[in-house]
Amino acid sequence: MAVVDKAGPRKGGRSFTEIVNDERYRSVFYQVIVAVAVIWAANYLITNTAENLQARGMSAGFEFLTSTAGFSIAWSIIDYEPGDTYFDVYLVGIANTLIISFFAIIATTLLGFVVGVMRLSKNFIICNLASGYVEVMRNVPLLLHILFWFTLSAALPRPKNSLGLGDMFFLNNRGLYVPAPIPGEGFGVVVIMVLIGIAAAFGVTVWATRRQMATGQRFPAFWVGVGLVVGLPLLAFAALGAPLTFDYPSLKGFNFTGGADVPRAFCALLFALVLYHTVYMAEAVRAGILSVSHGQTEASYSLGLKPSWTLRLVVIPQAMRAVVPPMISNWMNVVKNSSLAVAIGYPDLVAVFMQTSLNQSGHAIEIVGMVMLFYMTVSLTISAALNYYNKLVQIKER
Amino acid sequence: MTDATQSDTAFRPKPSLPPPANTVGVVGWMRKNLFGGPVDTVLTLLGVYLLYVILDFVVDYGIVNAIWTADSYRECLDINKGEGACWAGIGVWFNSMMYGRYPDEEQWRINFGGIVLLLWLIPFWLPKVSGKIQVGISAVLTFPFLAASLFIGGDIGIFLHAMTAIALTLFVSVWLNVATCYLMGKSLPAVLISVTGFADKDDRLHKYVLLGAFGVGFVLALLYHLSWDLVEVPTTIWGGLFLTLVISGIGISSALPSGILLALGRRSKMPVIRVFCTAFIELFRSVPLITILFMAVTMMPLFLPVEFNPPKLAMVIVAVCIFAAAYMAETVRGGLQAVNKGQYEAAQAMGLNFWKMMALIVMPQALKLMIPNIVGSFMGLMKDTTLVSIIGLYDILLMGKAAGQNPTWLGFHTEPLLFTATIFFVLCFAMSKYSQHLERTIGGGYGRR
Amino acid sequence: MKKVSLLALGAGFLASLAFAPEPVLAQDSTLDIVKNRGMLRCQLGTPAPGFYSLSDDGKWSGFDVENCRAVSAAIFGDPDKIEYQSVTSAVRFTAMANGESDVLSRTTTWTLFRDTQLGLDFTTVNFYDGQGFMVTNELGVKGAMDLAGATVCVLTGTTTELNLTDYSRTNDLGMEPVVFEDSNVRDSTFFSGGCDAITNDKSSLASTRAKAPDQSIFTILPETISKEPLGPVVRQNDSQWNDIVMWSLFAMINAEELGLNSGNVDEMKANSTNPEVRRMLGVEGDLNKGLGLEPEWAYNIVKTVGNYAENYERHMGAKTVMNIPRAGSVNDLWTKGGLMYSPPFR
Repeated sequence: MAVVDKAGPRKGGRSFTEIVNDERYRSVFYQVIVAVAVIWAANYLITNTAENLQARGMSAGFEFLTSTAGFSIAWSIIDYEPGDTYFDVYLVGIANTLIISFFAIIATTLLGFVVGVMRLSKNFIICNLASGYVEVMRNVPLLLHILFWFTLSAALPRPKNSLGLGDMFFLNNRGLYVPAPIPGEGFGVVVIMVLIGIAAAFGVTVWATRRQMATGQRFPAFWVGVGLVVGLPLLAFAALGAPLTFDYPSLKGFNFTGGADVPRAFCALLFALVLYHTVYMAEAVRAGILSVSHGQTEASYSLGLKPSWTLRLVVIPQAMRAVVPPMISNWMNVVKNSSLAVAIGYPDLVAVFMQTSLNQSGHAIEIVGMVMLFYMTVSLTISAALNYYNKLVQIKER
Repeated sequence: MTDATQSDTAFRPKPSLPPPANTVGVVGWMRKNLFGGPVDTVLTLLGVYLLYVILDFVVDYGIVNAIWTADSYRECLDINKGEGACWAGIGVWFNSMMYGRYPDEEQWRINFGGIVLLLWLIPFWLPKVSGKIQVGISAVLTFPFLAASLFIGGDIGIFLHAMTAIALTLFVSVWLNVATCYLMGKSLPAVLISVTGFADKDDRLHKYVLLGAFGVGFVLALLYHLSWDLVEVPTTIWGGLFLTLVISGIGISSALPSGILLALGRRSKMPVIRVFCTAFIELFRSVPLITILFMAVTMMPLFLPVEFNPPKLAMVIVAVCIFAAAYMAETVRGGLQAVNKGQYEAAQAMGLNFWKMMALIVMPQALKLMIPNIVGSFMGLMKDTTLVSIIGLYDILLMGKAAGQNPTWLGFHTEPLLFTATIFFVLCFAMSKYSQHLERTIGGGYGRR
Repeated sequence: MKKVSLLALGAGFLASLAFAPEPVLAQDSTLDIVKNRGMLRCQLGTPAPGFYSLSDDGKWSGFDVENCRAVSAAIFGDPDKIEYQSVTSAVRFTAMANGESDVLSRTTTWTLFRDTQLGLDFTTVNFYDGQGFMVTNELGVKGAMDLAGATVCVLTGTTTELNLTDYSRTNDLGMEPVVFEDSNVRDSTFFSGGCDAITNDKSSLASTRAKAPDQSIFTILPETISKEPLGPVVRQNDSQWNDIVMWSLFAMINAEELGLNSGNVDEMKANSTNPEVRRMLGVEGDLNKGLGLEPEWAYNIVKTVGNYAENYERHMGAKTVMNIPRAGSVNDLWTKGGLMYSPPFR
């Protein structure tokens, strides 16, 4: 007590309680315990697995990926033949999952905005119709939605009396048939023009912003950009003599041949996914718009901004901060929930790989692992993008 | 005269005219809310038409052409040619869709368990009752044991006997507490202390009085419970809505504590713990539930020693718990982040250590903010539980499918789906309305920061 | 902090070496496990009419269920000491190999791959099936060769799917499969014209047709495009258990051949002079020893479950929705031109 050690903590003579209460030592202690427990558990599981596999005469390893799968896949966006390998099946599954997710995400986002705004509408019928839609959709499991729409879509007409739009689009209980574009010679130039147009539009926007910052003069960057993106390719297209033909679907024998088609399961799944996830998107949009306080609008009016500018420069940027995180996690859910395709036979990754391939080859660990790996990659990529966006727009705390 | 003049010249407002006839009443309301402009009118008409189409179909299929009594699906088809529902089948299969293959004469056990849980939770809504938090914690921690020994039955082992006795004791004391609160205006512990005459003794002795009372209750409950003689009902024949609720109930009540630990771990300053927690959360949040379920039934038995061999339901529940914990962890993390930083700093300034700061300052505030999200997660989990039908657990959905494969009811397929959808809608709708109500009452007291 | 992490990981690694579990390889025989448990665990599929279906009071019944009941009767003398499990076709083998159940008795086709590479053994065949097609009459299709370019509804995870692919490739038909997980969904799709044809084992096609609002508009095409020997499966490397399941089936087939059924078995046991009947019913000899069962095991099967013909008529015969005639088919006794043949009880 009398001797106060002014030179800081003593080196040698620390009592036991001192060490126990020292946060650094404690944290080392906890971490060592956790690490020991986790590694021990992992090792335990791996040892067990090896023994179990051995005891059951099952093989492990990824050699099966190069062997022939031997079954056909109803529909795939990339080429697949029954003689291809299990690894090709994996790729086909991934492609099919991604394509349905892609369309579902786009449709969900657009429709979500519409329904979100509808829920804020002053029109009694519209507002309540939107609320009813939201309640019915979100209180019933997605699996039931999918089964329901699939069953309902069976009521579409048979191929012979398909619903047609001109002689180009056909809808029947097999699926949707659309003309397939066949790029002719020189079509590559048009594609390049699109890219150039996008780059140019981006350049113009940057330049216009800088000019406005410096001089205060505005420039119709948006319309110029649209002109560049649309106009350049169109010019090239016309100049090259329209190098694009279409392959139209036509009824031959039992089914339509030619053109491009998506199966009924695809349509039903897309429909169910969109209707279900639109609800969450709509709620995000509604909450986002409501989160911008009325004072912001009033303040911007009192600064003399036009209503359209107020919306664009004040309300939307602030609403987006609240809309984007739930929107992106909704996208993630779309990708994950597309796995329910298995219930109606759309050949997505889970259906072709974790069901059929697993059943044929028996390699449970490898297959489930590979499927999880794919979904993790997608989700982590999306959430990394989300974190980056959050960092950009976060209100800076102290 | 002058009086009259004065009163004539003084400003006397005329009674205001009634508002124009077309702005009040039904017409006014319609003009304002339905036909505000050309766009509005078009939208309204479209909406009404849509509503008509939907209702017309629903009434035709569900009521006009529906069959209410029949002995087989073939009989229904013969009458309405499949143009209406065959609700007769729902009557036949109702029990199966609710309880699965649980024996008919034992189904009272499930109902009884459900009623106990409801009764346990009723004190939450009684304004005069004190110690609501203890009520909640006691229900969450001990009810599962009571339910397990009730639902499984048979030879349950001494541990489950003891836990069930504790649950029974707590359940009775919860209601004794309600009784004393309403009759005497005091909580049960206070009454116990004053009755035994320890009210004016040292405070430290009170603890022993309560422990003693609990001990007596425990012994009584144990004796009572040992007299139960229930037939064993193996988990392999559980099914129907009951199974759905068991899986999601266990999932959510285990998710809360494990989610809190994971969330704290993810925010921890210790790198090893943080890495493990983050990896766990991200891994299981980023994959679909169906892959986790497949992992549970195909891989988990390979991970465990041969002699372990857990029942499939146990593996599925573990999978659902892992999944729910990972999601709950993010909900909790959101709640923790929403608590003002000043609260943490103030708690630290008061000299509270980490666990006290969390338990006394941060968690109560965060949990309050999280309640709507927790209810939301529960709803989500309940809906996701339908996926167990894909791996062959006889939940309400698969039980409905099984109905359509029975030789007598062959083809009975759409009605069970619609029935299941209705049940989910009713349950989830009620829950979401209740959570909105909570959001208003709790959020209201909290105000904006 | 980095050092701390490394330290922790290192310590964990060392600890894991120290605590590594002892390998457990010694396994009891399945028969002992079943006897100790007092219950046979029998794995069925999700309900399929005829083979295994669930009644509204939760009882399983069907042709494949009888296999399990026979095994239970052989072991316990009681056909109902069974815990039924039911899994989807996609996880049936893993669930079996993982030791969740003792017998897999659910329309499973015997193939070389499944017998050798999944840790399972097929016992014998209880039903010979073959894959066929069913179409609507209005298509005017007379045979499977007319189905070029047709879409065909098929169930996933089955040999059916592979056979369809093979058949389509061999005959250059370019059929397009539409794959389903759930047979209810598959069937309703087919009824509403979502595919031109449906393919499955012919026995199942019959039950699919029984679901249709109008049964008369569907035809099962004459071609049988595959061999589908269906039978119960057990885990590999337990030949005693394999024998018990296999001979329980043979007991039912042999009983039919010897003219034994659940009605007359008591009388035959008491009065028969046929040495094979006496050996089989445990009156003389000790055929039960090798199986590790009671002498009356086969008697119990015939008494409580019945012979093969009784089971067939109960679940597949003319009086059921399945309505698959047996006389002269491959599933008839070998003496009547079929393939059902039991090795001698001797």
